[in-house]
Amino acid sequence: MPPSIHPVHLVTVLRQKSLTPAIVFLTSRRSCDEALQAFEHAPDSLPPARQESITAVLDELTASYPSLQDHPLRKTVTTCGVAAHHAGHLPSWKIAIEELMRRGCLDAVFATTTLAAGVDFPARTVVLTQSGVRRDQDFTDLTIAEVAQISGRAGRRGKDSVGFAIVTPSPYMDLGVLIRGLTGRPEPVDSQFIIAYPMILNLLKAHPLDHIQSILAKSFAQYQMNAQAAHLEHRIEKLHAKLESYKPRECSDWLTQWSAYDQATRQTAMKLHARRHHPPEVRARLPYLTPGRVVAFPRFRGIVLRRYRSRGQRHEMVTVLRTGGVVAESPVADIMGVIDRTFDFAPAPAFPWAAPEALSWLTQQLEDLPKHLPFLTVPPAPDEGEGELVKSLGDLFPCPTCPCRPTCAKEFKAGNTVKQEWLHHTRTVQSLRTGLWHKFQERAEILQDLGYLDAAFKLTADGEWARLIRIDFSLLITELIRAQAFKDVTPATLAGLMACIAYENDRPDSFPRITGALASLVATARRMTEALAPYDDPPLLRADVGGLAERWVGDTTVTWAQLCRTTSMAEGDIYRLLSRTLEYLSQVHSLQATHPDLATVAAEALSRIRRGVLEELP
Amino acid sequence: MTRDELERALANLPFRLLRRLGRSIAGPPALRMGKRRLMHTIMAGAEANIARVEATIRTHQAEQQALAAVPASGGGASSEHKPGKPADLRALLEGIGVPEPRPFVPDDWQMEAVEALERGDVIVSVPTGSGKTYVAVEATRRAMHEDRTVVYTSPLKALSNTKYTEFCKIFGPEFVGIITGDRRDNPTAPILIMTTEILRNLLYDAAGGEIDVRLDTLGLVIIDESQFLGDSERGVVWEETIIFCPSQARLLLLSASIGNPHELAAWLTSIRPTPCHLVRHQHRSVPLRAGYLHPNGKLTPLFRTVTMPPSPSQAVLHPEAKRLFTMFEEDTLYTRRSG
Repeated sequence: MPPSIHPVHLVTVLRQKSLTPAIVFLTSRRSCDEALQAFEHAPDSLPPARQESITAVLDELTASYPSLQDHPLRKTVTTCGVAAHHAGHLPSWKIAIEELMRRGCLDAVFATTTLAAGVDFPARTVVLTQSGVRRDQDFTDLTIAEVAQISGRAGRRGKDSVGFAIVTPSPYMDLGVLIRGLTGRPEPVDSQFIIAYPMILNLLKAHPLDHIQSILAKSFAQYQMNAQAAHLEHRIEKLHAKLESYKPRECSDWLTQWSAYDQATRQTAMKLHARRHHPPEVRARLPYLTPGRVVAFPRFRGIVLRRYRSRGQRHEMVTVLRTGGVVAESPVADIMGVIDRTFDFAPAPAFPWAAPEALSWLTQQLEDLPKHLPFLTVPPAPDEGEGELVKSLGDLFPCPTCPCRPTCAKEFKAGNTVKQEWLHHTRTVQSLRTGLWHKFQERAEILQDLGYLDAAFKLTADGEWARLIRIDFSLLITELIRAQAFKDVTPATLAGLMACIAYENDRPDSFPRITGALASLVATARRMTEALAPYDDPPLLRADVGGLAERWVGDTTVTWAQLCRTTSMAEGDIYRLLSRTLEYLSQVHSLQATHPDLATVAAEALSRIRRGVLEELP
Repeated sequence: MTRDELERALANLPFRLLRRLGRSIAGPPALRMGKRRLMHTIMAGAEANIARVEATIRTHQAEQQALAAVPASGGGASSEHKPGKPADLRALLEGIGVPEPRPFVPDDWQMEAVEALERGDVIVSVPTGSGKTYVAVEATRRAMHEDRTVVYTSPLKALSNTKYTEFCKIFGPEFVGIITGDRRDNPTAPILIMTTEILRNLLYDAAGGEIDVRLDTLGLVIIDESQFLGDSERGVVWEETIIFCPSQARLLLLSASIGNPHELAAWLTSIRPTPCHLVRHQHRSVPLRAGYLHPNGKLTPLFRTVTMPPSPSQAVLHPEAKRLFTMFEEDTLYTRRSG
């Protein structure tokens, strides 16, 4: 939600109180753009002298960044002295805004909260309008570190004697979050160590497997886990002392015995409960409901195909074949009577639980049955009562003759809780100490299975080149190369696929059509992703974004403006997509030694991407 | 309290208090009630809960009186609050403007950080904008004197580009190079600006035997924005860079304020040959003040004190800011829903 104050009004107030220049942080790019649009109809404009100074700076920058020449926002910036700064803009435009801010030419910049870290220019004032930020489809509160990052932009060293953080409310704003953010201590930084496939390959290239554990032990992740483990070990010691008070009595394993007894009691009770759920007459019918049995329901007859109970369900169910060949599921309790007819057929392990020919034969048989058939008389099952429970427990009942049984019976619950906690902590400590190493081994074995590592965990020929691909989804790319998916690929198609892999946003946008070649390459990549799904997080792999890169690389006469017209994506996003594609392609390009053909194609694609706006900012 | 009095008092209560009362009397269904039904429910259940109802009303009235007692500063929406307390706004805006130009004198902590680099690795954790760049530049200058290569890494390409321009101005373009995922200028220069991923890759190659000349003479690695270590996607790259950083090179970690710099320093000390020195402070070089701007254009201090409260527990809102914000909340949250 944009702030409730009108942007023009906001800037007017800031000017009046001489709080400018200011950075106004808004939630979305759209609200930044809308705020700027509001100024197009603003009555007052800057004095001519300041307008001239802005024009001068812009002209100066245009020399190195030609794309500034006809930027649509140029007029608003010049006349009103305000600008928007967000990821939807080209880097050159952002640089221009930053430069204008540094020279103090602008009064206000509207920026998105999401990119607070990327806003690397100070101002006298920052305006906070939100307590939340959009993160992966979700709206979460700003962290203290983020608010600190934002408020850190307030007050320019040497230019301001004091900086201001101004809070202006918007609907659903939580003032508490901002107050905590402005005054609180930032959150601790926690390790986010992940063991990625390129890391494994590169580590094993340089070190033998038995050195790896000591290298992993140097990570901050392990350092933090060790601290945690040490803390738990302290707890374990305490629990151990507590367990000491439940010393062995007559026997040493009384706790084990009693917990086994406890568990058995609970299980028996549960089983009994389930079985007793059906009324006796239904329970009595259960043994008759074998596959092939003819049963009667209130409205129809059927042949039982199987009997089952779904996990977590209390009712026994049957799958029956009804007249007309319908296979239906019904609870056992619905069965009205059991008929004295059975048919032998070959059961199948999955739906429809019988071979097709058996199914049609059974249907025929069912229709041929006479209209009136007597029900079997089934005597109601005897009530299997408490007697059985007690009897079955009798064998498990611990230590019937032991002298300390009463004490054990009294203390076992408390003792068992302590012991369970102790066990739990011991296991946690173990996994904290060795978890990272086990994860590494697990992933290294996957690479072994795929053929990047040999039996001794040394790099194979494939591993040697695969370690040069050090980006996200490296496994997908190396597997595609090994599967010869890039044979005879054109630079445009290669760039298109890399764009598909690199783009991780699910924002709906329209894109130019992709060619058949790219479509089939993406389909191949999709199949590969599915095959690799157990080993690696799959990329989004949107086919449509590939069209942009393909067009840009495929036709070198396309200008930036033409490219932007083919899509609804913002300029800055297109730029970022293409520069990510560039990174991916340059990784592929690094495989010159082993895959010269592919590297040549990648080099060609690289040189074609770098033109126009993309050349401007190297 | 008679029934009429009670009804009048309830009508004056803000909606959120009414709802809280209604909830305590009628349970969760009260959350779906409008003001009139809520009042009705509370009146119906008032006999049994008279103590609670009266207590709520009394506290509210006391708060109102307290607020009215504080002279409100001008222009508020409600007319009974006379403009006043200008001292607060004046105090907030006092001293605004450009300070006297002073010759640049490095702060003590900046000198401390630069000097500590002679003895070992350094972590600098200070608020944003308090002059970390000075430390980086000074450390770079010293390393240059000793003919050592300096690598400066940052998380974003845009930041790398900015730093490149900045370093070019200071040290001259022939001494500065930049390597990012898609840019490569003067890659053999003694000062190299790169993204952290690139440095990690260089270190991978060096460990794999493809020794890069630049790493041989590597004397200083500056890792800017090292709080990115905690980034869920890219944090691992920072960690790898630090683990694989050659032992002869000094590490300078520049970070915004973080909660556990001690832990980071202890970790570095445990894995690096030299002990790690931690430089941290919470002091901003330009003091910060907080204000509250109401949508009607009225500016008040956000906190009771002009300076920032030292911790959230000591943060007391300025009464005027609190009143305006409560008013705003009631306007936007409740009337909109019921209307």
